[in-house]
Amino acid sequence: MDIYLPIAEVSVNWPTLVILGAVVGFVSGLFGIGGGFLMAPILVFMGIPPTVAVASQASHVVASSTSGVIRYAGQGAVDFKMGGVMAAGGAAGAIAGVELFRYLRLLGQADLVVALSYLVFLGAIGLLMLHESLTEILRRRRGLPPPRKDRRRPLWLYGLPLRMKFPKSGLYISALPPFGLGVFAGVLSAIMGVGGGFILVPAMLYVLRMRAGAVVGTSLFQIIITTAITTILQAGRNQTVDILLSTILLLGGVVGAQIGARFAGRFRAEELRAALGLIVLLVGIQMGLELFVRPSDIFLLAPGVSD
Amino acid sequence: MQALPPPPPAIEAPPIEAAAVAAPAPDRSEATTGELRVAAALTDAQVHVDSGFTGASIVLYGAVFNPTPDPVDVVVVVRGPDAPVRLVKKTRNMGVWLNSRPVLFEGAPGFYMTASTRPLSDIADFGQLRRLGVGVDHLRIDAPEEVGTVTRYGVRDVVVSRLGDDYLDWRRAVIRLKEAAALYDTDPDGVEFVDRGLFRAEVKLPTVAPTGKYYAEVWLFQDGEPRSVSNLTLTVEKVGIERDIYEFAHRRPWLYGLLCVVLAALTGYGASRIFSRRD
Repeated sequence: MDIYLPIAEVSVNWPTLVILGAVVGFVSGLFGIGGGFLMAPILVFMGIPPTVAVASQASHVVASSTSGVIRYAGQGAVDFKMGGVMAAGGAAGAIAGVELFRYLRLLGQADLVVALSYLVFLGAIGLLMLHESLTEILRRRRGLPPPRKDRRRPLWLYGLPLRMKFPKSGLYISALPPFGLGVFAGVLSAIMGVGGGFILVPAMLYVLRMRAGAVVGTSLFQIIITTAITTILQAGRNQTVDILLSTILLLGGVVGAQIGARFAGRFRAEELRAALGLIVLLVGIQMGLELFVRPSDIFLLAPGVSD
Repeated sequence: MQALPPPPPAIEAPPIEAAAVAAPAPDRSEATTGELRVAAALTDAQVHVDSGFTGASIVLYGAVFNPTPDPVDVVVVVRGPDAPVRLVKKTRNMGVWLNSRPVLFEGAPGFYMTASTRPLSDIADFGQLRRLGVGVDHLRIDAPEEVGTVTRYGVRDVVVSRLGDDYLDWRRAVIRLKEAAALYDTDPDGVEFVDRGLFRAEVKLPTVAPTGKYYAEVWLFQDGEPRSVSNLTLTVEKVGIERDIYEFAHRRPWLYGLLCVVLAALTGYGASRIFSRRD
């Protein structure tokens, strides 16, 4: 049942990969995220070189996001204008990110930066989500009324130039903040191999204060564009995309994503957020641990000889 | 989509075989002194890496012609294509393990194994092994970029390594990490005599073995001196779909990337169509 991956140049058990794709797809459908942050560490754990894992699973993110966007678009929950502005930023970020990743590989610091990004971003977001959703759950248990929503947006959103109307998101703000968010997600996408949904969704909700219904669909739309560009760049510049690996992951992934999306309706939103927050936090800690634990061998082979 | 360029020509036959066509019998082994000789062959001179590849095990077998009463030792050395190694050292800074600047080691083969009838150090002395380059300790691995010349104690152009006293640690780490990946191996009793004068040794290639041309040397030692050597070649190559994908990804990387994305998007689209119809 083992299959040899031509680019990763390792042999892996393919049913395991299909199951992994399905599980990550399920999580991704359930929470409305790309699921990349979960996939990359597991692939590395299975012995696939980190650079190949990060680059190949980006196309898994493309597939699961595509099926997500089609579903959300059917419900009219995608703001293509906002998504387009963010995707333009994402493209710029991805190009910069792939170059940055290449440079870091040459310096031998790529794995350090990846570990650090996981620890900082996943740790912070995981804690925030967990805190916010647990307070919500506790409040409901005690029967307290929900707090008054703070509808004010930060003033600087209006002070910036290039104001645009985003009717679906219910916004009339400068195009710069969404563009900037896109750039940030693009860089993360190249370095961590993630779509960046776990950062984008809270940022769109709490900073831009977009209409909640349009947030997930729009972030998925921007993720497709950003990760598609990242995949092409990784293949073109670094030759680290393994089409066989990504296809196997896809097969499980798309099925898992659809099943996950069905299950999403059965849980309360804050319970889902609490679970996702916990997963995000655990992955972040797991990835960050390697910075603090004494390595089994203080010498390490650094990839990236041929370029 | 443009057609792929034709794959590189098939592996050319080793020149020795070309000479053997004229000669009545192939004679790949050369005698160093007298009649004491070793001859060897591989069960498989080509290893194909396809989708089912999980490493390979090849048997090297051979014969020793020993008219003298003294015992002989056989050492088999298999060397893969050179693969420079970049190594980093983790150092602890304020409680956090950070990577050092990477150091490039050249001359390290991508695969290296020795199998012998006895531990190498019992077969020949240090100088002899160093001269022949037999044994992982005698590989010519070094970090030329780290070497500089300085003036020390008034002597000019003293060659030093910028790695300083750690140099040996670095070098040993290259070998240790390669051994951990099963790419380097030393087997002090890997050569087994199955009958008088007839021996066999196993060459185990892990899945991560690099593709390319491998050279096998079969040395015959007597009294610590090399008496005869037989040279063999072995090719590890990707075949079939694995090769096509690899070539495609490296020759037309941008088109390949585009194809990956289109495939992914279509799969996502297809899945959502299939599932929405079921509703």
